[in-house]
Amino acid sequence: MLPLLLLLLEMARGLEVLRYTPTLASPSLGGLKTTSTFVLEQPRCVFKEAQGNVVIWLVVAVPEAVADFNNSVGPGTPTRAFQGFPAGAPAYMTLNTTLLNYPCPKPAGEITVLRVGSETSCAGDERRPTCNGPLPGPGPYRVKFLALKDSVPVAETAWSEPIALRTAQPLSSIPTTGSSHSAGMIALTSILSILFAILLAGLVAVLVFWGSDACGGSSTFSKPEAVTVQRYNTHHVYDQPAARL
Amino acid sequence: MAKSDDGIHILQGLLVFGNVVIGMCGIALTAECIFFVSDPHGLYPLLEATENDDIYAAAWIGIFVGFALFALSILGIVGVIKSNRTLLLVYTILMLITYAFEMASCITAATHRDFLTPNLFLKQMLERYQKSETSNNNDKWMTDGVTKTWDKLMVQNQCCGVRGPSDWQEYTSAFRSTHSDADYPWPHKCCVMDAQGSPVNLDGCKLGVPGYYNSNGCYDAISGPMNTHAWGVAWFGFAILCWTVST
Repeated sequence: MLPLLLLLLEMARGLEVLRYTPTLASPSLGGLKTTSTFVLEQPRCVFKEAQGNVVIWLVVAVPEAVADFNNSVGPGTPTRAFQGFPAGAPAYMTLNTTLLNYPCPKPAGEITVLRVGSETSCAGDERRPTCNGPLPGPGPYRVKFLALKDSVPVAETAWSEPIALRTAQPLSSIPTTGSSHSAGMIALTSILSILFAILLAGLVAVLVFWGSDACGGSSTFSKPEAVTVQRYNTHHVYDQPAARL
Repeated sequence: MAKSDDGIHILQGLLVFGNVVIGMCGIALTAECIFFVSDPHGLYPLLEATENDDIYAAAWIGIFVGFALFALSILGIVGVIKSNRTLLLVYTILMLITYAFEMASCITAATHRDFLTPNLFLKQMLERYQKSETSNNNDKWMTDGVTKTWDKLMVQNQCCGVRGPSDWQEYTSAFRSTHSDADYPWPHKCCVMDAQGSPVNLDGCKLGVPGYYNSNGCYDAISGPMNTHAWGVAWFGFAILCWTVST
């Protein structure tokens, strides 16, 4: 009931309520939502009726402040200062620009976006209450555009859906254990072990035959003996008594 | 019982041929392992920071084993031609020792390759990249190594993070504690650079506009060379060892 009354009151004052809902920009942008910023589409071709020196403001609020938001509270006052957001000021106003910066129609192929939270230099500066500073937490937040003419609200868009930012998990939560052994490594280890065993067995066999000295092994190793036999035959032909020695 | 002379000569010929192959493979193994140890891709600091650089130890062992195989193959050829039993026994024993070392090298390379997962590099990158407070000299050395290696990797391979720039958003990091999220959603090295080494369009990079920042991850650029390294040492050594046993 109360919002309806407020709406009627606004319309009585000449405030135009537009049907446009602020949306996030295209999901192809990698930085669409970070842990302290988000990117909105510019409100092109939205404020059609506005004339003259109209200034378009972006209002960022916590969802609890949406219901009884008062358009008449001016930007830059303590209840609308970025530095007090969200504890002292449940909503703040920033990114003020004239209608000339949102020309209609939107040129094709151009990226027309608003990055909310990009100004870090003035985030703590109380003299800059309309600073577009980084958002203090993951949200969620709701935004709308408000057109002011000489500090009098003349048009506003609808409130956006709640926008929740990213949360960063602690890096200690990354699991680094639990890497299983690959099949290749297991195959390699087992085959090598078997071959090592075979080689060891071969060495033991060679040592055994070396130690026993039986059968003379292959004839490769018996060549020296053949020479000795020939010399013995020569002695046997000439010296019979000498052969007995 | 005695084999014919022809059979002996064929056997000798085969053994000499086998030893020649082992000698050549030994040289090849040495060359391959020297190549890996020289670290052409500059990834050694990442391994050093994991405090588990055993695949490099495996490559070092491979160098010496390669030389040993070459020397042993010459000994084996001499032993077969001279038909000296002592020499052949010495050859067998030394070959067994060399085999044991090479087996250790192969298994080490294969096992520790399995240890190098994307999560390991992700955690290391988040912990060390541009870390500002280092506790001691060793910590500072490793942090500098990791930071320089990642900077070089990201610029040369046009990539960002291990899986992508979202790594810097999904997890807290040492980088995040010194660089605000609004100014540095990801490091500026992830931006597309011009010839002078500065970002072409910093705002486009911060927004994440395709074409102004590197949106793919660097894991392929890391794991590719490391896989080649580990498998090269492990499987080539394995092939040599199989041939050795059959000879």
